[in-house]
Amino acid sequence: MADVLDILELGRPGTPEVTKESIMGTGSQKPKPKYKPKNEVLRKPEGMARELFNLLVNDSKDAAPLFPTDTGKGYKQTKAQLGVRKVRPWKWMPFTNPARKDGAIFHHWRRAADEGKEYPFAKFNKQVHVCSYTDQEYHLLQLDNWTRQETDHLFDLCRQFDLRFTVIQDRWDSVRYSKRSIEDLKERYYDICNILNKARHTTGPEPKNIAYDADNEKRRKEQLKRLFERTSEQVEEEANLLQELRKIEARKKDRERKTQDLQKLITAADSGGSVTGAATEHSPSTHRGTPPDKKQQIRKKNTPFVTPKAKLELLPSVETPSTGIKFPEFKASGVFLRSQRMKLPPSVGQKKSKAIEQMLTELGLELNPMPTEDICQNFNELRSDLVLLYELKLGLSTCEYELQALRHQYEALAPGKTLEIPPSLLSNNDPTIQPEEIPTRPKTLSEVIDIVGTAATPMRKRKAALEQNNMLKKIKNRM
Amino acid sequence: MSTFEYGPDSGGRTKGVIIKPIVYGNVAKYFGKKREEDGHTHQWTVYVRPFENEDMSTYVKKINFKLHDSYANQNRVLTKPPYEVTETGWGEFEIVIKIYFQDPNERPVTLYHILKLFQNSPEIVVGKKPVVSEFYEEIVFQEPTVMMHQLLTNIPQLSTSPVKHDADFEEKKVSTLESIVKAKTKVKNELTELKDRLQLAKETIQKFRDEVQNLQLGNPASAQT
Repeated sequence: MADVLDILELGRPGTPEVTKESIMGTGSQKPKPKYKPKNEVLRKPEGMARELFNLLVNDSKDAAPLFPTDTGKGYKQTKAQLGVRKVRPWKWMPFTNPARKDGAIFHHWRRAADEGKEYPFAKFNKQVHVCSYTDQEYHLLQLDNWTRQETDHLFDLCRQFDLRFTVIQDRWDSVRYSKRSIEDLKERYYDICNILNKARHTTGPEPKNIAYDADNEKRRKEQLKRLFERTSEQVEEEANLLQELRKIEARKKDRERKTQDLQKLITAADSGGSVTGAATEHSPSTHRGTPPDKKQQIRKKNTPFVTPKAKLELLPSVETPSTGIKFPEFKASGVFLRSQRMKLPPSVGQKKSKAIEQMLTELGLELNPMPTEDICQNFNELRSDLVLLYELKLGLSTCEYELQALRHQYEALAPGKTLEIPPSLLSNNDPTIQPEEIPTRPKTLSEVIDIVGTAATPMRKRKAALEQNNMLKKIKNRM
Repeated sequence: MSTFEYGPDSGGRTKGVIIKPIVYGNVAKYFGKKREEDGHTHQWTVYVRPFENEDMSTYVKKINFKLHDSYANQNRVLTKPPYEVTETGWGEFEIVIKIYFQDPNERPVTLYHILKLFQNSPEIVVGKKPVVSEFYEEIVFQEPTVMMHQLLTNIPQLSTSPVKHDADFEEKKVSTLESIVKAKTKVKNELTELKDRLQLAKETIQKFRDEVQNLQLGNPASAQT
């Protein structure tokens, strides 16, 4: 409870505080001074950085202490807990290791209580069971390239070295018998074990075979050997190739994403264009989601001049396309200026708003027209369309670069041949098409748009496409 | 003042929208020469006027014009019409105009006007005609408070002769709307055309990609596309 009061700075109740000192009976019995709420607030001196001031003054508003307050007692145990139990005696005594067959006697220090017990480490002397065969059984085990003597030699070594095949192979008598690899030895040993297990099996479930695939092991070791013996150049080249591959894949993904974006744009343009012809009664109030009749009545009463109905009917009602501009809706009650509705939302970046300005000037329109309701609505829709136009134009230019890149790729793969890009897709400043191919037509709005920041890309992209090609070839060759 | 409280959530708001058109801006006249004592060259008047000839003070409590820092008492408060400030000066600057309403529950609205003194028309340069920079604006009262609604719907017309606005806003409104609608149609057509080109581009890309892939798979180049 006191903690809560402390936190809330409410002062403390009269009961004495329970502290370590009061329980232990140590420490000074001097009662702590009661919490005094200080009224004086330390003000940050002019020009002092906030961070610096916060170091000096903490939340409880008292100044930082001048002396270090860490007394070093903290969470440390003051004293080690020693000499609680009686010491158990140790004794120098002899022992035999049951793992040894010679019964040698050694001495060691041991607790007196453990005298006479078995040597505790003897249990770690594990014996491997190496199966053996009789003469009758051997006829089952006969193999063309293994003699009886050779097999016996293998089993002797197996017993001697506890199936450590690396050692067995090393100790193999290659003078008397043909040279054998580890895999050969293992294969022979496990085959014999499996055959014997099967032959001796009488009741119960079939014993499990020990699976050993010598061929697979050989291949595995060969692979590891090759991996190990690579030169540093080879390692480097592989890393490079992998990196390039990753880059190519990233580029591919990027392209796919762009195509998808493009698809979205096209759908947006579709939905925008399809309603163009529909001349419905234009009522901006319906966009705010309130019954239109009431609002219109009020509007008629209060609007100083009502534009002729015929004019209104000319206006195509267009739903704002998804990729255009999303203007904020003014739904909340209160006063606002109409011109505020025409403000571009912050989501429209600088490039886009610049492009809008450019196009509006080209269209001969004011940048801030008279803010009436109809004008606001139409002006916003117009600008939304302009943004869509801008985005489509951008998309088209990306497409053009893509086409160029693909053409270069094609030319690199099939020298002497080329792909022809439809002339309508080429921007008019492209040097590859002849001037007479450009039909003379009025300059369209989209040609006015200056797509900032994309002019430098085509060369880079073409180069990238070429590099990509070479890389792909290289990778293919390696495989 | 009303003794009732019309808080934003008290339900003291009426349904509907009331629109009050206004005109704001400034006129400026050149002295013909630079004034000796302070270097001022122009006399100007910045103003807010109702678009229609009615008494704005019915619903406007006060209008605050904030002038440039270099003017003595830069905050000029006007509680009754005409809402205008006349001064002399030599430079253009932004004037912040804040309109307060009779009901304190309606937040004030702020207009920004760049004081205009100079224009390139020859008649104005010599000081024969004043410079006028005037804008149309609409104050939209969305679901006004009951008190505001009362005030807004009972505005007495002024008997004095109406103020002549600089531009014929009525005509300008019609022509602006017309040109915007025209521009919209134009943009729509271009959108359709651009969309078709984009569709073609997409198909061509796919075609090219297939060709390149064919080559990469080791097939001989197919017929020219």
